[in-house]
Formats: sequence, C-alpha cells, structure tokens
Amino acid sequence: MKLARLSRSLLRTATVVAFALTATACATNQADSGATDAAYRVNDPLEIPNRFVFAANEAADILVIRPAAEVYVGVVPDPVRDVISNFIDNLMSPLYIANNLLQGNVEGASNATGRFLTNTILGVGGLADVATEAGIPRAPEDFGQTLAVWGVGDGPYLVLPLLGPSNLRDTAGYAVDTVGDPFRIWAYGTDHKDVYLVRGMVGAVDRRSQILREVDDLRRNSVDFYATVRSLYQQQRRAEISNNKAPATPEFPDFTDAPKP
Amino acid sequence: MLTRRHFVACAALLAVSGWAGHTLISPAAAQSADQGAAAFIQKLGDETVATFSNKSLSRDQAVQRFRTLLNAGFDVTYIGRWVLGRYWNSASEAQRAEYQKLFEQMIVNTYAERFVEYSGETFKITGTAPAGESDSMVTTQIARPNGPPVNISWRVRKAASSYKIIDVVVENVSMGVTQRQEFASVIEQNGGRVDALIQALRQKVGSRAG
Repeated sequence: MKLARLSRSLLRTATVVAFALTATACATNQADSGATDAAYRVNDPLEIPNRFVFAANEAADILVIRPAAEVYVGVVPDPVRDVISNFIDNLMSPLYIANNLLQGNVEGASNATGRFLTNTILGVGGLADVATEAGIPRAPEDFGQTLAVWGVGDGPYLVLPLLGPSNLRDTAGYAVDTVGDPFRIWAYGTDHKDVYLVRGMVGAVDRRSQILREVDDLRRNSVDFYATVRSLYQQQRRAEISNNKAPATPEFPDFTDAPKP
Repeated sequence: MLTRRHFVACAALLAVSGWAGHTLISPAAAQSADQGAAAFIQKLGDETVATFSNKSLSRDQAVQRFRTLLNAGFDVTYIGRWVLGRYWNSASEAQRAEYQKLFEQMIVNTYAERFVEYSGETFKITGTAPAGESDSMVTTQIARPNGPPVNISWRVRKAASSYKIIDVVVENVSMGVTQRQEFASVIEQNGGRVDALIQALRQKVGSRAG
C-alpha cells in the first residue's frame, strides 16, 4: 500500500520534471546580443503583468504578511523563533540532500546529510541547529538550482502571486520541490494536510520576519522598487547556483582614460 | 533493493566524510593580494566606528562626518557614472552634473541614518583577493549585536596614491549592479529620458531632506 503511494508520487514527480524540462528548454534558447550592457539586461518580457502581480503582492505584504511578521517578532521570543526556524529548515533537509546529489555535488550532499543527522539526533529532532555551531552552515539547495547546474537558463522573470520573484526555471523547480517534498508526501498520505499548511504559513512569516528592516529600507530608498527586487533576486540566485564560489564580476572600466568631449 | 540499514549506513558514511572534509579544508592558504587595499579598509572602518561610537555628536554633525568619510573612502563620482551605464553618454553636461549631485545626496540620505544609529557593530577583514585587472576585493564580516553576521565585500581601486571603494557587495548583491538596473528601469519606463531619472531622484532626495 505504502509502496503504491510512493510510486505514485514518484511518477508525479517525474511528470513534473518532464514538464519543467520542456518548459525551460525553450527558455535556454534565448539569443544573447553579446553587447557590454547585456550583462545588466533583464529578461523580463512579461514586465506589465509582473508589475501588476508585484503591486498585488505589495498590498498583501503591507496589509497582512508584514504585520503578521511584526506580531510574530513581538510576541514570540527570540530563542523560540530560532527553534521554529531550525525545525522547518531541518524538515527540508531531504530536499537539500537530493538536490545536492542531483547536481553531482558530493561534498554538498555529505554536508547536508551531516546537518540532517546531527540536527535530528543531537539537535532533538531539528529543534537546535547544532551543525551550524559545529561549522556546517545552512546551505539550502532547490530544484531550480539543480536545473541551473544542468544548464537550464533562467527563462523570463516572473512574479508569482504571494510567492514573489521567480523565473520560469525556478518556478518549475519550485513545483518539483513541492511535489517531491517528503514532508508533503507524508502529510498528504496520512491525512495531515493541515499540518503541512501550518508549516507553510509559519515558514513564510518566519522568513519575512528575518528581513523586516531590510525590506523597509529598500522600499524607502528605491526609485523603482520593482526593478530593485528583480535585480536582487537575479543576483542572489546566481550566487546560490554557484554556491558563492564564482561571484559575478561586472566590469569596471577605467573612465579616466576616456575623457568625454 | 535499498534496505533501511543500507540507507542509514550510506548516510552515516556521507556524514562522516563531510566532517572529515571540513577539518582538512579549513586552513585556507593565504592569498597573495594587495595588502594596501586591506589596510585601507581597516583604517576606514576603524575611523567610521570611532566616529559613530561618539554619541555626543549632534545628528547634523554626524551626517556631516558621514559625508566626509564617504567622499574620503568612496569614488562617488566614478560609482555615479558607472551606475548610469550607457545613459551617461546620452546625458548632457548639465544633466550629468545634476545627476551626480543628486546621486551623492541620495547615498548620504540612504546610509547616513544607518551609521548615525550605530549600535556596536564590529567588523573584521576575512580576506583579500585580486579583482579584474587592477582592483582588489576586500571581504569583511560585520558582527551585529542582534542578528546574524553580514558578509560585505569592498571593491577597492588604487588611484594615484590613494585607494577608493568603487563597489560594495552585500551578501553577494552588488550595490552598483542593483542601482544600475534600477536606474535603467526608470529611464526605460520613461521612453529613454535621463530627465525622468533625475526627476525621480530629485523627488527622493527632496522628500527626505526636510
């Protein structure tokens, strides 16, 4: 019985993977102009609908999510929030391990496995992040990153309702991670959908609560907040994909040698 | 068929190799890079901390000190021009001058507050590496009294006899690139007019100056 359920979910994962690959394959064939400014060009053909969704997300954030995060920070003490954040991260560990393996990153996989075992056993079911103390920091890997390592390009930039900035490849990756998430499979298999839902909501509020000030600052200081977020997303994803090892280095020409008339 | 015992054994093996790998790799070899750049960042950072630890300064004085430090440490004119990208070429002399003025004012408005509210952050240099043809990337870690540490890298260029910062990378996000893309978006949204950006900056700066 269990095996049947597992194989069904595996089959579903495979279907989504196949869909993701075909969808993103189209995205990789984007022609590159090769101009110097191309490095700063953004692939955003859907900017008008994206801006619309972005505005809706902003409204949802200002009205609901940000206040919820503020209450969360105000009501739940620091150590408890750490425990919650650790626990949720530990639940995601199987995905980190799987994605590291799919990327052929053995060191990453062994670190993720080490984190999972250490935090589950010594950290009492993932409540304490013992592994970080021991020198193995958090290193989330998702299927969007795996696809990127496999050579799939970003595809057009997308702003997803409530989920925020993404692109075609990362959206496909998110779908695969969601379907393949062992916690979701367990929750749906044992009729604990509500637990799954709670994890999703607490996780979202927790993540939002960690960047309260940063987002406030950015909002206040941007002349085009949409473009700022788009730029941040792309740069951060690029760093995550390369595991911070190959930072994108823009060119900084010497202007003094080219005096302007 | 992968049994549970198999799985646990594999996982344990992976975990052990992870631990072993860590202890072997950790003492990274020291990079031979421009030590002058690191010394420059150290000095600038020390000065900044010393300035803003002094809580007897009035707000205006502190902002003034920030501006002095900013212009001593950063090549603001270079950054401003770089951030404008290809639109620099299409801007008139008058536009360039006003843009540069507003750009500097915006940086002061944006960051002075952060430094005036200084609350015991400390920094340490964690590495120096060559960047591009003539620059150095000095990486620092900022320890905050509340919240996890932040990694910030400073791209330093040697100009004549002094050093100047030309880009700041916060947790892998280049401030220069972010601003460049933001400004380009504003200009493109307005039919390629640099004036639209200047107008937006004027509003931004004006609305916070008072």
